[in-house]
Amino acid sequence: MKQKWKSSLFLLMAVIMLLSACSSGGNNDTSGESKDEKIKLVVWIWDAAKMGLDANMEAFKAENPNIEIEYQLMSQTDLYQKYLIAANTGDKIPDIIAVESSNLAQMVNIDSLYDLTDKVAPYKDKIVPFKWEDATKDGKVYAMPWDSGPVVMYYRKDIFESAGLPSDPEAVADRIKTFEDYKEVGNIIKKKTGNFMFQDSKTRSNNRFFETMMWQRGLWYFDKEGNVSLDDPKVIETAEFYASMVKDGIVNDAEGFSESWLNAFADGKVATIVGAAWYDGLLENMIDPDSAGKWGVVQMPKWSVDDQYASANDGGSNLTINANSKHPEQAWKFIEFMLGKEESQLTMLKDAGSLPSLMTTYEDAVFSEPVEYFGGQPVRKIYTQALEQIAPQSYTVDFPVANQLMKNAFAEVFLNNSSVADTLKKTADELRSRTSRK
Amino acid sequence: MASKWWRWQQKSAPYLFISPFFVLFGIFLFYPFLYSFYLSMVQWNGGKTKTFVGMDNFKRVIQDDVFWLTIENGLIIMIIYVPLMLLLATLVAVLLNSNWVKGKGFFRMSLFTPNIMAVVAVAFVFSIMLNGDNGLINVILKQLGLIDVSILWLDSPVWARVSVAAMVFYRWMGYNMILILAGLQSIPKDIYESAYVDGATPFQVLIRITLPLLKKILVFCVILSTLGSFGLFTEPFVLTKGGPLNSTTTPVLLIYQESFTNLNFGYASAIAIMFFFLMMIFTFIQMRVTRDND
Repeated sequence: MKQKWKSSLFLLMAVIMLLSACSSGGNNDTSGESKDEKIKLVVWIWDAAKMGLDANMEAFKAENPNIEIEYQLMSQTDLYQKYLIAANTGDKIPDIIAVESSNLAQMVNIDSLYDLTDKVAPYKDKIVPFKWEDATKDGKVYAMPWDSGPVVMYYRKDIFESAGLPSDPEAVADRIKTFEDYKEVGNIIKKKTGNFMFQDSKTRSNNRFFETMMWQRGLWYFDKEGNVSLDDPKVIETAEFYASMVKDGIVNDAEGFSESWLNAFADGKVATIVGAAWYDGLLENMIDPDSAGKWGVVQMPKWSVDDQYASANDGGSNLTINANSKHPEQAWKFIEFMLGKEESQLTMLKDAGSLPSLMTTYEDAVFSEPVEYFGGQPVRKIYTQALEQIAPQSYTVDFPVANQLMKNAFAEVFLNNSSVADTLKKTADELRSRTSRK
Repeated sequence: MASKWWRWQQKSAPYLFISPFFVLFGIFLFYPFLYSFYLSMVQWNGGKTKTFVGMDNFKRVIQDDVFWLTIENGLIIMIIYVPLMLLLATLVAVLLNSNWVKGKGFFRMSLFTPNIMAVVAVAFVFSIMLNGDNGLINVILKQLGLIDVSILWLDSPVWARVSVAAMVFYRWMGYNMILILAGLQSIPKDIYESAYVDGATPFQVLIRITLPLLKKILVFCVILSTLGSFGLFTEPFVLTKGGPLNSTTTPVLLIYQESFTNLNFGYASAIAIMFFFLMMIFTFIQMRVTRDND
């Protein structure tokens, strides 16, 4: 018996020695690195976002020959999950993390991002105000805003024409002032051409369209006090209107960015996208590259002509620094170069179609330039106009939960023909219990 | 002295040889298992602070309709595919074990292949074929005149479960067939010979000899498939994302959503613990019911 104990003790020792040998090896590696003149920063990011940084990489290297950047590409969901683990194990890598605004508050809340309050201070007034809200917790700022997603309406001129509707941007803006007009036009297009007004899945929507309608009206899943407001009469009214468009049959039932969604655009079966400015680059490069000259851009429809705000925000990203990073100064240098410098932001706009949140760039001539893909329409002016019209609010910490529940709520409305009001009331209660809110 | 050392070595050597398993088991399974017990009693969003809440998470799980729905989903999916799959696997295994079938190697391989293909790739192909408006399956069914309106394979609760079950069936039929085949080959040949000498028909042989002797392996397959259908993750995750209306959300998918989408690690752990005990009870009942009476 005693011997058994001895041998297991011996084993344990062996294991501990092995493990400690491994970990001390790791330490040596990293300390050797810091002696080096050249510093390597690891950036976690997804493909589409990296495009903008690539456009400025040459210039950054020229200015900072000692900083080497290594990109590790992954999907957004993977990135957040991996970072969560890295943060909890105190990893020094990555140094820089890209975070979408929709998930920013949730990421800030895990308390592992580097405090950027002093560093971003000079930019406080230069960046569109709503971007700061999700980046801030207890008065401290943890992210540098990148692009914004002011929502506008993209429309197919040829489809509008074949339905006997005006197709010139000014005339379209005049014809579609409210969502009521939008629905009416959708029905005309359906009757005359058999095409759809827009696409969204009945059962697995990402809710962007509905959320955009809410945001524009200054409504959200939660109110300003943080209470659940999904059963607010105005929210219910908005959801009922959205459901009525689906029931009119003007919405093609396809999940965003799925095969059939992309095919419907390529086949010219969809008349509009009410979506963020980042569709600019996506339309041209991915969704509908063959239709140059056929798309036009106007402001998104309003709920009512008298509403104070005309637009909403959809998406947009930020760059953040890992609190455990060994090179926060250099990381900030990189972020400041990419996001704080007007030149870099303008390059991103031109080459990657990402719309700056940095307002000091808006005076640049590039904003009034005609854009070839949109038949020479100077669309960027429309984006900045929309930006100034965004109702000031933010995604908030529990957005991912709310978004998930809302998906099911709409599925229930469309699959079981449940009443919108009842479903939203039920969903609001579930949201309350899931997030321990009032 | 030397011999003492030698004896010590001899006694400790087996432990050293089996230690890699126990070390890995301890680090990667047992420690996380204990830790999730601890986590199930705190509220934790992945940040620095964990708040102890005692049994609150468990109270919530028991009252959570979605949790019970996921158990129901697991049951329904299991009922859809497990009996059919095991029946077919047994039949195919018996056929492939008989003397008169040619090209056994080819059949065994092609039936087993789905199991070793990357799940995500399979799920992707399934999702294209099952697409609601222009998927291959709907197109074929329409061509044959079997249906007029497209079936929403992935977008209606009933069919989504069938689709998920179909994919599990496709992936695991061959695997179970191989297990059963191994069982068949361990049945001594002379039993069959004496049966035939006694004038038994092939059907009698199947019912009276093959199946009873396969019982152990079949029970094993049933338990494995049961646990498998509650533990499904990749299939519903890629095919349906757990929807529509949570109809294909399995307990494991729910744990994933609660932890990595909603960042409720405490609550997710409580679900995991509840799930663990439920599965233990399930397995226990199955073993009791199918226990050998001899």
